[in-house]
Amino acid sequence: MSATLIMKKRTPVLDVVEQQVDPVKTEELGGAEKIFAAKPKKKWTAKRIAARVCLYFWMSVLAVIFLFPVWWMIVNSMKSNTELVAQLSSMRTFLPGNIKEWFASYANLFTFTAFVNPETGGSLMGRAILNSILYCAITVAGVLLVNSLAAYALSRLKFPGSGVITTVVLLLILVPVETSIVPQIVILTKLGLLLPATRVIGYLIPGLVSPFYIFMFRSYFVGMPKELEEAAEIDGAGKLRTFFVIIIPLSKAIFATVAIFTFMGAWNDYVFAQYIFASNAEMMPLQVFLQQVNNVQPKDTSMVMAALTISTVPIAIVYIFCQRYIVEGVSFSGLK
Amino acid sequence: MLTDSKQVQEAGSILPAPAENSTAGERKRKSPNRHFRLFGKDYRLIDSLIGLGFLAPALILGIIFVIAPIVVSLSYAFTDAYLLNLSTAKWNNFANFGTVFTDPKMWNALGNTCLFVVIAVPLQLGIALGLALLLNKDVKGNTFYRWAYFCPVMLSLAVTSFLWMNLLNEQEGLFNGLLMSMGMKDPKNFLGSDYGMYAIVIVSVWQGAGYQMLIFLSGLKNIEPALYEAASLDGANKWQQFVHITLPAILPTTSFVLVTMLIGAFRLITQPMIMTPQAAADVNGRETTMTMSWYIYTQGLTYSEVGYSSAIALVYTVFLATIALTLRKVMDVKD
Repeated sequence: MSATLIMKKRTPVLDVVEQQVDPVKTEELGGAEKIFAAKPKKKWTAKRIAARVCLYFWMSVLAVIFLFPVWWMIVNSMKSNTELVAQLSSMRTFLPGNIKEWFASYANLFTFTAFVNPETGGSLMGRAILNSILYCAITVAGVLLVNSLAAYALSRLKFPGSGVITTVVLLLILVPVETSIVPQIVILTKLGLLLPATRVIGYLIPGLVSPFYIFMFRSYFVGMPKELEEAAEIDGAGKLRTFFVIIIPLSKAIFATVAIFTFMGAWNDYVFAQYIFASNAEMMPLQVFLQQVNNVQPKDTSMVMAALTISTVPIAIVYIFCQRYIVEGVSFSGLK
Repeated sequence: MLTDSKQVQEAGSILPAPAENSTAGERKRKSPNRHFRLFGKDYRLIDSLIGLGFLAPALILGIIFVIAPIVVSLSYAFTDAYLLNLSTAKWNNFANFGTVFTDPKMWNALGNTCLFVVIAVPLQLGIALGLALLLNKDVKGNTFYRWAYFCPVMLSLAVTSFLWMNLLNEQEGLFNGLLMSMGMKDPKNFLGSDYGMYAIVIVSVWQGAGYQMLIFLSGLKNIEPALYEAASLDGANKWQQFVHITLPAILPTTSFVLVTMLIGAFRLITQPMIMTPQAAADVNGRETTMTMSWYIYTQGLTYSEVGYSSAIALVYTVFLATIALTLRKVMDVKD
């Protein structure tokens, strides 16, 4: 957590050491040199201290607003439901519960009778986690391959139709088409990809191609120097080999960015998945299974919070360990 | 190298070779530098084959799952297509469009969506910019605050919705519990027709603001500090610096963020779908949290009226595209 989200770091203005050195320096310098000298460090006047305290106060209030629901979710996933309900109307609801109960709700998720498949005896919660991991892995691998190859073709190879296709890709990003999921479901039904046996294919395959990722890859490839590829070609390497041996290692950053964004999109997908897997608890990804946990009667809020926490952990890990690529992706999307 | 050229051949051979190459000689055929002309442009044969081969998976998938849905949507909009029996779809001219504009439920959904957009977008944009400006100061503990504001972004829309649904619940909800311990008499139904849409606004802003904050922050970090120094030497105060340096510098970022946020907000579906499964109908049966995307979904997939659903989607796409393109144009002119 120590690394900053934004990489560019400026020298801290409030450094004590600099404050001691600075006044001497500014006195020695005169006239025009003064202007170009290092920014003079301000003194800690009462007014500035008050402003700082005020700033910290508001930043902390905002931090509480943004954090307390998440904190409550985690803390209450580690209580028994009776304890949770009993503490609701006191501030103890924000404090951790009895240490013996910490993982009871988590265990309950996997052993709860309604969540155990009567035929196989397998846990549906475990199955949902596995499904989510599997769907994400396939989607990420497919998205990377399909879109990067297409983008490479569009950025480096001249062939009939390349100009038209590039324009179409850009148009598809610019115009917000309310394709929603209805026509996709129609097409999948017509292709016979929503039958019980083919449902998984029907769920995964529409997400593999994305005009936006093609555009992202293409922008990256266009900016890469051509010399290495030309050298590889002179050495007799084919385009496919060049792509895998030279292009991919040189564009790890963009591959990582797209992989992370795809992973998060696939892990968090809800509307499409809940339609396709509505009647099939065995194939549900985690986000859809949350509905099952939430529907349990009598209501077990603690178990719901445990399920929510579990389904957030992978995304949190990705954000914490892959910040660099996320910031790159975010600033890329900020470039218009 | 042998296996390699074989792979290339495979990649290229899926597609038919351009026609006019049959006259070429054997020696020339093996040459990788053979060219051909099409519509007055010169192409290298090998590049064309490999290019189309590389593009093929994306092209095929794109035609089926990106282009075809648009075509399907366009063509079904003029029919009475029914999801469970698509083959009997009959052309019914513009009947669907007549229904769209006289459908009170459509106007209700459009009204609800616009209410959400009008409140949530400015609120979220303002909060995101405010947070970014706060964090742009060099303050000790900056990293902690940045993570704190960003934290809700890590929750998926489904998780956010289920979490807040439980926080705002009428029975055993945190907010009702705390408010009643402070003296409120009866629990309030925050997800009912009175507060439902506002609850969704708050939840959405809470979840999303951190993301736009990050975009603004990277925009702010790109401003040359020398600009501010020069301005303060010229006697500009903080507010003047903000108006004349900060705002113009982040205008491109703002315009991008605004357009993406607007389109995203107009497509609101997950939060109301989870938090208010019955669309928070009021005493008159008006569904107060029904949004356009959800209405299109309901018509097409719950009631299986694909034809009518496509017609609404088409009208809505034209509506959204007009807004997006107009905004882009206006923002570009300003730059």
